[in-house]
Amino acid sequence: MGDTTMKAAVPAGPGNSQTEIRHGAHVDTIENVDIVFRAQRKLSFTYGAWFFGVTLAIPASSVWWKGWYATPIWGGFTLNYLFVSLFYYVFLWTMAWTYSKQADKLDEQLMHMADADEASAAMTGKEG
Amino acid sequence: MGNLNTIAIALVIALILFTVSLTIFANRFTRTTADFYLAGRKVGSFANASAISGDYLSAASFLGVAGAVYASGLDGVWYAAGFAGGFMVVVLFIASALRRFGEYTVADFAFGRFGSHRIRLVTVVMVLITSMFYMAPQMYGAGTTWKVLVGRGIFGMNPYTSGVVVVAAIMMFYVAVGGMKGTTLNQIFQFWWLNFAMIMVVIFAFGNGFSYPAALQAASDGTIINSKVVTVEQLTADDGAMLAKAEGVMSAEEFAKVEAVVDAGDSAAKVPVALPAVNKLHEMRDALFNEPGHRYNTFDQFSMVLALVLGTAGLPHILNRYYTNPSGAAARRSTFWVLVFIGIFYIMAPIAGLAGINLIKNAVANGTAPATADYVNGMLVKSDAIMPTIAQILGGEWLMGIVSAGAFAAMFSTIGGLLIASASAVGHDVYEKYVNPNASEKQRVFVGKAAVVVFALIAMGIGLGIPASGLDQAYPALIAMMVTWAFAVGAGAFVPMLLTGIWWKGTTERGAISGMLVGGGGSIFIIVLNILSQLGIIGKTGLIGFLGGLTFPTLFTFPLAIATIIVVSKLDGQLPKNLDEIWMRIHGTAHERHERDLGLDKVSTMFNKH
Repeated sequence: MGDTTMKAAVPAGPGNSQTEIRHGAHVDTIENVDIVFRAQRKLSFTYGAWFFGVTLAIPASSVWWKGWYATPIWGGFTLNYLFVSLFYYVFLWTMAWTYSKQADKLDEQLMHMADADEASAAMTGKEG
Repeated sequence: MGNLNTIAIALVIALILFTVSLTIFANRFTRTTADFYLAGRKVGSFANASAISGDYLSAASFLGVAGAVYASGLDGVWYAAGFAGGFMVVVLFIASALRRFGEYTVADFAFGRFGSHRIRLVTVVMVLITSMFYMAPQMYGAGTTWKVLVGRGIFGMNPYTSGVVVVAAIMMFYVAVGGMKGTTLNQIFQFWWLNFAMIMVVIFAFGNGFSYPAALQAASDGTIINSKVVTVEQLTADDGAMLAKAEGVMSAEEFAKVEAVVDAGDSAAKVPVALPAVNKLHEMRDALFNEPGHRYNTFDQFSMVLALVLGTAGLPHILNRYYTNPSGAAARRSTFWVLVFIGIFYIMAPIAGLAGINLIKNAVANGTAPATADYVNGMLVKSDAIMPTIAQILGGEWLMGIVSAGAFAAMFSTIGGLLIASASAVGHDVYEKYVNPNASEKQRVFVGKAAVVVFALIAMGIGLGIPASGLDQAYPALIAMMVTWAFAVGAGAFVPMLLTGIWWKGTTERGAISGMLVGGGGSIFIIVLNILSQLGIIGKTGLIGFLGGLTFPTLFTFPLAIATIIVVSKLDGQLPKNLDEIWMRIHGTAHERHERDLGLDKVSTMFNKH
């Protein structure tokens, strides 16, 4: 952290309510961060809902669905045993991979928004 | 027996020597506090994932999961799935935000997010309590593993004490000298060693004719039979009800040994017996290996899952590792690789547990079972001994040695992470911030090392105190139970604060502190009641009896902590004045983009000299 310059400012001019944070040549504004944060929150909580839904559906099925916990389907494997001992990990790997990729895209979106803002500011400066 | 011990000890000593040499190597590159606590923030995704996996896979995973499956079937498999599932909560809600905040510790995050010294100190206390809860089973595992594998004490100490003292001394040395860089290197090596040991056991099992579906079918053919050590008084109570049950499932030869102890007339004498298990979930069904219900009733089926998946995100030694990533995206990638690594490990551990049933039964019948373990009716008396036992049956002295070294590697890597987390809580969060803010780098690193020594000594004291307190007699599977306590405390204390702090702007300092105290304190309170209940100090009736009977408090404490944070924050309304700036630190990427420009996101410089 020590090798970067961090600065928060609330410019007072009318029509400019931006708060920004600057590290070297890179700037994040609260507006841009909030837009990406909302998308990130939607992504994380959607995946979270799927994760907890599936994870808690396993004990729920263990309590109430006899075909899940008491019917062998391959040797001694029941659906319950097969899922908990093997397929649950495939589910976790798939979720973690797809989530990470989508979250990376949101990071890139923030970067592009910041780049566009900087380009726009530079253009305004030239025109001024 | 002599050769067996020699090779096992030789391999463990080789592991220790290699660990020490890595530590000395890493010490050459440790100059600053960022080096000591965070390995200079230069650990790449793959290396960090290996180190996190080594940090995470403790004695409970290496010895306990296979043992839990061996003893309990499907309910034991849940330990593996739950331990792995916890990292989804980390990757979805915490990993990248924590790294982007760019500090050293969880207490730093609390201070930076909520802007008060009070919350930093509360967090420090909770970090230390959680770490000690997690340290206790590791030290207990060190003592019991030494007892099984080495079988004798050193310098006049008994075997258990020798194990605790030796492991504490080694850890004290290598964490204090090598810091996070040394610990990271060791954790990477130790993870791959214990993974190799598990892979070898499973390969040898398949090579020995093991068939997963067929073995599962055979194990599920009838009620699970469990071993238990009981007193003659317990055995003959209620007109000998337990004795009759044992007679119904034990062989005539084995039951004759039990009868001989009973006939001797000493009511306090202890004897191992085999007893049929009862299905706690579906009471009208037998307790079968491939069905749920051996360990958990309906409430505990849900509560146990929640404790495990939420607890991972509340372990300070795991969270601290996320600060060693070069970026938020790298933190997510690390977590994905952790899920792959530990997922493969946790798929194999239940196979080892299942394979052990027939292997041990046949070895006992043939008279070839290792003499270092105790058996009753063709089963291990203590299921935690399954890994070294089946290793010796499958691969002789060498595989036994590889697994022994793996068990110690599991303990070393976890204890290393816990010592770093505890040392950073005191050295960084308290000393550098409050005691001597103007301390030089040299002084700061010295205090960090001194804190490691102190906490290693405390851990040693806890390890030695467990048998004295009678805890090892009160809980049949103490290692797994103690680890679950640590998960419950972490899930109650930190996860609600982190989730709301990262995802809800309205969280206030008072709300976060209240949530930590309610979640963490509530978990500790219920765990203490559970211990007192098991030790017979409090009764099992009334509200106290009900709370004391809760195996996993998370189903209560987690939602209660979240609700507390929301209600207190709404009532309080005192938000930090620089909230937008804080929000941009957590969710913005300008800092990372700047570091990328400067080439600071490269991971190849972990061992550059300053």
